[in-house]
Amino acid sequence: MSKRAPYAALPPAVDAKPEFAPGHVDTPPSEEAIYLSRRGLLGAMAATAALVGAEGCRRPVEKIVPYARMPEDVIPGVPAHYATVLQRRGDALGLILESHEGRPTKVEGNESHAASLGGADLVTQATILELYDPERSTTPLQGGAAASCADFDAALTAKLAAYDKDGLQGAKLRVLMPPTVSPTVLRMRAALAQRFPKARVHTWSAVADSNIREGARAAFGKPMTPVNLLDRARVVLSLDSDFLQTESGAVRAGKGFAAARRLRSARESMNRLYVVEPARTVTGNMADHRLRLPAGDVERYAYSLAAELAKQGVSLGPEVQASVGKRASADGIPPKWLTAVATDLSRNRGRALVVVGARQPAAVHALAHAINAGLGAVNATITYSSVADPDELDVATDLKALTDAIAAKQVDGLVILGGNPVLDAPADLGFAAKLATVAFSVHASLFVDETSVKCTWHVPRAHEFESWGDAQSLDGTIAVQQPLIAPLYGGRNDIELLAQLANAPERAAHDAVRSTANGLLLATRMMSACSAPDDMGTLQCTDSQGAATPVHLADLDREWNRALAAGVLQRAQARQASPPVNAVAVAVAIDGHKPPARGQGTFEVTFAPCPKMGDGRHANNTWLQELPDPVTKLVWDNAAILSPASAKELGVENKDFVKISAGERSITAAVWIIPGQADHSVALTLGWGRTKAGRIGNGRGFDAYPLRTTDTLGFASGVTVSKTGDEPYFFAQTQENDSAGGRPIAHEATLAEYQKKPNFAELDSPPPRALPLWEQVDYSGKGHQWGMSVDLNACTGCGACVIACMSENNIPVVGKREVWRGREMHWIRIDRYYVEKAEIGATEDNPAVVSEPLMCVHCEEAPCENVCPVNATTHGPEGLNEMAYNRCIGTRYCANNCPYKVRKFNYLNWHNDSVWKDTGGLPESLSMQQNPNVTVRFRGVMEKCTYCIQRIQSAKIKAKRELRDLRDGEIRTACQQTCPSDAIVFGDVNDTNTAVSRAVRTDRRFGLLAEIGTRPRTTYLGKVRNPNPEMA
Amino acid sequence: MQIFPRSLNKLPQMVAVASVLGLVAVTGVIWYYFSPWFTQVGYTPKQPVPYSHRLHAGQLGIDCRYCHVNVERAPLAMVPPTETCMNCHQVVKTDSAALQPIRDSWSTGKAMEWVRIHKLPDYVYFDHSVHVTAGVGCIECHGRVDQMETVRMEKPLSMGWCIECHRDVKANQGDSAHIRPVAQITNMEYVKDGHVDPPRTLNPPDNCWGCHR
Repeated sequence: MSKRAPYAALPPAVDAKPEFAPGHVDTPPSEEAIYLSRRGLLGAMAATAALVGAEGCRRPVEKIVPYARMPEDVIPGVPAHYATVLQRRGDALGLILESHEGRPTKVEGNESHAASLGGADLVTQATILELYDPERSTTPLQGGAAASCADFDAALTAKLAAYDKDGLQGAKLRVLMPPTVSPTVLRMRAALAQRFPKARVHTWSAVADSNIREGARAAFGKPMTPVNLLDRARVVLSLDSDFLQTESGAVRAGKGFAAARRLRSARESMNRLYVVEPARTVTGNMADHRLRLPAGDVERYAYSLAAELAKQGVSLGPEVQASVGKRASADGIPPKWLTAVATDLSRNRGRALVVVGARQPAAVHALAHAINAGLGAVNATITYSSVADPDELDVATDLKALTDAIAAKQVDGLVILGGNPVLDAPADLGFAAKLATVAFSVHASLFVDETSVKCTWHVPRAHEFESWGDAQSLDGTIAVQQPLIAPLYGGRNDIELLAQLANAPERAAHDAVRSTANGLLLATRMMSACSAPDDMGTLQCTDSQGAATPVHLADLDREWNRALAAGVLQRAQARQASPPVNAVAVAVAIDGHKPPARGQGTFEVTFAPCPKMGDGRHANNTWLQELPDPVTKLVWDNAAILSPASAKELGVENKDFVKISAGERSITAAVWIIPGQADHSVALTLGWGRTKAGRIGNGRGFDAYPLRTTDTLGFASGVTVSKTGDEPYFFAQTQENDSAGGRPIAHEATLAEYQKKPNFAELDSPPPRALPLWEQVDYSGKGHQWGMSVDLNACTGCGACVIACMSENNIPVVGKREVWRGREMHWIRIDRYYVEKAEIGATEDNPAVVSEPLMCVHCEEAPCENVCPVNATTHGPEGLNEMAYNRCIGTRYCANNCPYKVRKFNYLNWHNDSVWKDTGGLPESLSMQQNPNVTVRFRGVMEKCTYCIQRIQSAKIKAKRELRDLRDGEIRTACQQTCPSDAIVFGDVNDTNTAVSRAVRTDRRFGLLAEIGTRPRTTYLGKVRNPNPEMA
Repeated sequence: MQIFPRSLNKLPQMVAVASVLGLVAVTGVIWYYFSPWFTQVGYTPKQPVPYSHRLHAGQLGIDCRYCHVNVERAPLAMVPPTETCMNCHQVVKTDSAALQPIRDSWSTGKAMEWVRIHKLPDYVYFDHSVHVTAGVGCIECHGRVDQMETVRMEKPLSMGWCIECHRDVKANQGDSAHIRPVAQITNMEYVKDGHVDPPRTLNPPDNCWGCHR
């Protein structure tokens, strides 16, 4: 690969602007501050007129620049697709990336990869924007000053040479990196251990699965990864687990959960979900029964439930039963939540599953393994796979070991690969201060972040889409991470840096990954002890029988190429016999677990990874910033979430500031009240309030890390919360009405009601009273008629579709203030309605939720079409409501007449004049992400969902070229493609055999606002809840 | 009392003059925007290399698809890479001064910069492959390229012109004058003689999203 000059990037942003500091009164600006003055406008108009006169007669001369030498496999104008993989927390998602002439533009899930099954979560969708972030680090820094790569290499080599010579075997060298699932990274770490046997690799990530791991270690004697098979579970109990969004393996869980919930007719049955959690999550929103309980009490609930299960004859082992018996206490827990839930679980042995959230202590995880074993869940609804890194320790312990070693002056060289420990290390470790005492510290990262500036060296890190690698998913599937583009800013990748540290023979990541893959491929063939290849490319190996067998490199090449094309190198091993649960060890874990000391206060604070920012690493991503939070619907901020009762007790309202103090540590944050939040529990999401994220992420929201200590990574009890009395904060929200106001909008029923009245949804929305305005068109037999069906029963409201749509359709972000003005440009939004319903236990304090994705529904009787004065929006022959941008003059009549409010107007040239205004418009690198097959809309035109017309057209053209008919499923809209719960189906409603026709014929179907006679093409399937009658 | 000032007496004349001028302006604008001047029919820019289609496609009879390789499978027919020129010109006319930019591009790897002639607006998504595989010959839009020393824009490529053909083909299928056998796509001499069986039912779009998105 030839070296190329780094891509020109924006200079790093200055520190957080004080105007965003907590406590600052951020009032909406006056009109003049945003718009041109009248004089300026007239001046601009005059200048434009003059220019038109001078230049308008001749179009600019445009150049066609073909390749000098045509690269292989590039067809200009036709996107190429490559398979790769991306580590997501403890899991790895197989992906297919779309690339236009060498420029990746869109992320999609890989159907043949077990962790993705074709879906992708919202952060993965947004990763593509991070690749092109103009504020990524472009050059090594030495003490904050730009240095060259050669300088860095020389400094590192000199340091390592010193370790070679000092006879301490590298005892003073430490490496800190997030937990990895990459076999090659692990191999390189082993190589490092060979060169420096005493050097240690520590792992730390603010959001990790250590408790899950330690829980499994307690139950099975070795760390194992639980893999939940939600598609087979009929009764699921989630103990503070957001398994549908923020936990590892959420995409696969979402696919399985939706499959077990899908109802094709009223004769089918569905799963039932109980959720016990302190703060609302996407998973809690899907619950059939939801108990709001402070995070610190979830443990007690688990013990009490286990005791109840034991009483009902579920065998947990005598030792476990004795332990939980000692600690069970039903204080404050509704009795039915123990008896009825236990009965439901024990009645569904072999089909029940208990899932525990990663922030709950390891003892609860160990107990859950015992319960799952007792319920016969093992190998039925849960399997266990071997972990990628068997030597990984509990992250907090491991990081503490590092800071202790630094404090003891045992470390003089620290290489930090990724992560951002200065920001997210537990506050009690004083990481930043200790890091400053290390003589030689290196931070490799995408951005010059909080940690980079505290290290003596910073090196730019290559993005995952720019570098070779590999990753093992939760279930054991291994896939190769294949770069789509040469490093834009000349970044290094982890494998190469580790190889440099280890002085490994394979310095290029590709070679290292390749040789890991060869090792795996040979191991699959039961080959071992292979020689180096001879001149003919033949390896001499020993097979399992001990016989010498030749293996040809050409065969390995073929398998490697196949793995690259398919995106899977090695499928998960056939189900292994899970080790039995060691009841004694589980009992010891439970008895030995001491909750951290409570503070003096009466509140609890819970920390959860932000569904958008993760641990903070995605803070500079405009798409994620502008995505409404799935629960609060807030954009560009997080908030301290309080329950209505707690807020009343504190005397605060939405936007008021509170001070949250845990011991001597405290933060201030603005309040947002969410019904369903546990009383006396404050929920904070991590990853906000960054100071060195970049222009986009700096100073947004409230940083929760200062409250988090090694003992309280998940939640801290006994904190005090008090009102500060500061001026209220300025929040922007995309949905201000939490209730549908009793109108028939998102139809729902219980399973019993559904079985009694299968077409409940349609019956609830009366037929239109008005006669149609126009003559009705009969479409039967008239070619393709596009339609969509959205299953409200499957939709979790996670938001992945919104990001997928932004990525596919070049949708701009507008910034917080413009969202506050109601000008967000998302073509698809997810309306979240609270539902109070006695029979499902949904009360005002703890309402149930229904999420309803809404994009242009392509009405047959479209109100927008009737009012457009210039025919810019018209009805196409395939039933689409078409919008011709170049014809639109911006009267906005159509948006005003749209009952669904799905039309979006470009009040400004958003791409240039919103968030990137200060830097002179959309940075060039970000425009590289844009889809060349979709017009980038300019100021003054209306836009809306097109059903991904570019995908329809290209599939139709392909079918025409190949002289065949379109196949069902050949066209998938961006939202449908990414949906982790398969809630969206798109296709031809004129053909009775398509999936969408079957969905549209389902008895639960209804047309949103059908009663006003719009005849929408997008129809919905009503939500069905499955409450347990015994809970009533 | 005089309500209107004297100066207003000139108003009728001014209105008359203004309306005449306005009429002229409107006529001028319409006349201009519908004329080949606006659509730039006849635009014949000078190219960096005086490549002659008359010689290559006409006299030598090289098929269009030798250079424009993607025309049957992609939206862009593709202007060929330097490599394609050098396939022959490594041995033919190796000392021609006119070919110096090509040889430079080949040796330096720096791309040639040809001047675009057939330019559609950015909001038009035209696809060569679907037209060519339907039996629309190159000549329909590009004219007798085999007779052009320097390529010039032959047809207006305006929306009205596109739609005219789309409607004609939709109505008349294989009887439309624009449709020829797929095998004759690049044949500049082809003369249509009666009905042609198109390879598929031709259903060219005449709705907005057929071409704009």
